Amino acid sequence: MSTLTIIYTVLFYVATLVFIGGLAYRIYEYTRTPAPLKIPTTPAPTTSAGVVYRMAREVVFFESLFKSNKWIWVFGWLFHFGLLLVLLRHIRYFQEPVWFWVEFLQPYGKYASFMMVVGLLGLWARRFLVDRVRYISTPSDHLMLALLVGIGVSGMMMTFVAHTDIVALKAFVLGLMFFDWQPLPADPFLLIHLGLVAVLMIVFPVSKLLHAPGIFFSPSRNQVDNPRERRHIAPWAAALEREQA
Amino acid sequence: MPTIEVNGKTIEVDEEGYLVNLSDWSEEVADFLAKEEKVEMTPNHWEVVNFLREYYNEYQIAPAIRVLTKAIAKKLGPDKGNNKYLYELFPYGPAKQACKIAGLPKPTGCI
Amino acid sequence: MAAPDFEIPQFQEHAVLDIPKIKEGAMSHIKSFVAGQSAQEYLGYPWELGENWKERAIERMGEVLKKYRSVRVFLDACVHCGACTDKCHYYLGTADPKNMPVARQELMRKVYRRYFTFGGKYFPWLVGAEDLTEEVLNDWYNYYHECSECRRCSVFCPYGIDTAEITMAGREILNYVGMGQKYSNEILVKVQKVGNNLGLPGPALEDTLAGLEEDIEADTGVPVKLPLDQKGAEILLVTPSADFFSEPHVESLIGYAKVFHAAGASWTLSSLASEAGNFGLFNGNYETMRKVAMRIRDAALELGVKRIIVGECGHAWRVAYSYWNTLTGIGYGGEDPYSQMLQKQLDHRYPQPMHICEYTWDLIQKGVLKFDKSKNDHRIITFHDSCNVARASRMGNEPGGQFTIPRNIIRAVANNFYDMDPNTIGESTYCCGGGGGLLTDDLMEVRVKGALPRMNAFNAVVQQNGVNFLALICAICKAQFTKVFPYYGFDMSMVGGVHQLVSTAIELD
Repeated sequence: MSTLTIIYTVLFYVATLVFIGGLAYRIYEYTRTPAPLKIPTTPAPTTSAGVVYRMAREVVFFESLFKSNKWIWVFGWLFHFGLLLVLLRHIRYFQEPVWFWVEFLQPYGKYASFMMVVGLLGLWARRFLVDRVRYISTPSDHLMLALLVGIGVSGMMMTFVAHTDIVALKAFVLGLMFFDWQPLPADPFLLIHLGLVAVLMIVFPVSKLLHAPGIFFSPSRNQVDNPRERRHIAPWAAALEREQA
Repeated sequence: MPTIEVNGKTIEVDEEGYLVNLSDWSEEVADFLAKEEKVEMTPNHWEVVNFLREYYNEYQIAPAIRVLTKAIAKKLGPDKGNNKYLYELFPYGPAKQACKIAGLPKPTGCI
Repeated sequence: MAAPDFEIPQFQEHAVLDIPKIKEGAMSHIKSFVAGQSAQEYLGYPWELGENWKERAIERMGEVLKKYRSVRVFLDACVHCGACTDKCHYYLGTADPKNMPVARQELMRKVYRRYFTFGGKYFPWLVGAEDLTEEVLNDWYNYYHECSECRRCSVFCPYGIDTAEITMAGREILNYVGMGQKYSNEILVKVQKVGNNLGLPGPALEDTLAGLEEDIEADTGVPVKLPLDQKGAEILLVTPSADFFSEPHVESLIGYAKVFHAAGASWTLSSLASEAGNFGLFNGNYETMRKVAMRIRDAALELGVKRIIVGECGHAWRVAYSYWNTLTGIGYGGEDPYSQMLQKQLDHRYPQPMHICEYTWDLIQKGVLKFDKSKNDHRIITFHDSCNVARASRMGNEPGGQFTIPRNIIRAVANNFYDMDPNTIGESTYCCGGGGGLLTDDLMEVRVKGALPRMNAFNAVVQQNGVNFLALICAICKAQFTKVFPYYGFDMSMVGGVHQLVSTAIELD
């Protein structure tokens, strides 16, 4: 087996471990930290079903962002839904045989990469063109966009310009999954693409990408507006109450 | 703590120029504070200041605006018993500016 | 009005302001007075930075991160998208970039990153992490006292990040290292020592209420009472102490009394709970907020009341509606003996606590109250949604009742009503500019400039519809606009309460 294959094999195991372990830890931390007070941004739903619906609107349509700024909404939505289609398309590398709907999505996923990259470039442009956004942008904000654009463009190069050996690639991926390691095609775009993806997975749990799990834990969005009907009290606050009673 | 000098006496005030110790107040001090506020003291100003002090001595708080306007109406006539007239006397607000000149602590809260 | 030593912002033609270009440091000269020894000591905080202030600050931050999911998630989740950057009234009025919600959060986030995250510990330059220095601490002090905790940013954030939570955490840490704010902390001392934010002692309250009874009778010929500490009364009214003291606040108090009278209700005020406001909210300290709220529970138990109603006060209604049940068991659904003790006493036919507007609107719907609307014909009215009521509470049974119920009351008692631009009311309402512990003279420049978005929308209805009355349901809003109106060329008598309108039109027999 080539050195290259060994490096990428190890890299992907590490990246997967960090990604899953780090994210699980973060989610555990969010779960463990109580929200001691009722702080839904009102008007808020008065039932749990209502909260699920509110959250769904946030996650699927970016409702608050839509209210806020149409440019960020357009670019943000293009990027995220482009990315979603692209990711779904990539499922085919992880299974044999491939599910019917994944097959069906292939052409859409292919062109969704344009959505994704256009969205990213739009968001990036705002970091230069809008003085307020320029002021708040840190080097990591730019690097994160560079990383995602890099992943998108290198992937598109393989889809539309210089095809890679996807049969060998799939063998490599399935090999990773079943601990039956296979050689990785030494194709520059593929190596860039996979390398950047691994970096993305590694930084995910220690970066602002935590907005993805974070939204589900945001008390201003996930709480039911029923404080007069239900007594909401955190364990540490209940302890304080017993102490002072 | 900042201080002011009146007739050779050094008196402590807070950041906004309100007396720290109520007992430091005298008519000279009131004149001095009024000058700082660019308020020229007339007998009507003194009526307000004296009422504030009397009320404070009884209740440990400045009177509510309504209580003050009613008292002033009794003393100076009904045409003077309103908020507008008090603002004419003390442009920065009767509660805050007149209290300062009367040597009372600044009333604070949602007011 | 004393001559201001700053420039008053200009109105724009459209109701919704243009977004200003950033002006770095535009408001960095503003520093609210720092609390002195006596207030800090009473609240259990130091009054100057000790040698180990930095360790204490970081330690406190760690504790806050463990106790408040909001702070942890909000510090992690922001992607710097910029959606909030033009949403804060203080940014719109001052153009200081640190008044953009994300930048205000970033003051804390950069320290959080440095001490609590992998990226910030090892690659601070990359993620914008910074050491906690005295300079950073001073920035916290300045800019966490240029936030009114109004939550407008949280409406527009895709993750619901609420800068108010960060500001509260910031103030909590500042207090913990000895940098409390004079205004808020002195009030927190007064409310705990005397019973209300003003420091109005029982005898003065009694005298003031007696005077009001005289006034109402002289005015209407009807002996409307304002009972105090009446055991066995059905309703306890808890209202901001400004209602006893200030104009135009007192007009609404008279309005509540007339409504109770017309409904034939048995009600009382309490000298123990003579304050609805709770500045513990502003400082983000759970225990202080609980102590202040306890007075209402104690008064309710002592007087044996069946219902608790809250007067016109924005942040008080937030604390009452959203937190009283949590803090003191005022509400329903408690399964522990502590909350059941009170909850058994309350009348379960009504929500607890209830807003005075819910109460009045309920009576109007039942046809109990009669009005002569023409008595308000000299007024052309608009309504300002107070931030804490709009975005942190509710009235009635349906989401959004906090917007419809006060407007319904106004329409029931007056003929001329116009709303301001839809982008500046409801959940998008602009703060008055004086909320969250900023209602102090040392922050006048912040208050005047922060009021600009609201004043601009108000000016638009003045020009278009001849509006001459701004109806409010918050003591802070009333005090703030009374002070700020003259800066913008309006008369302070244009400011008043919703129950002031009720008071004008209600028919008593």
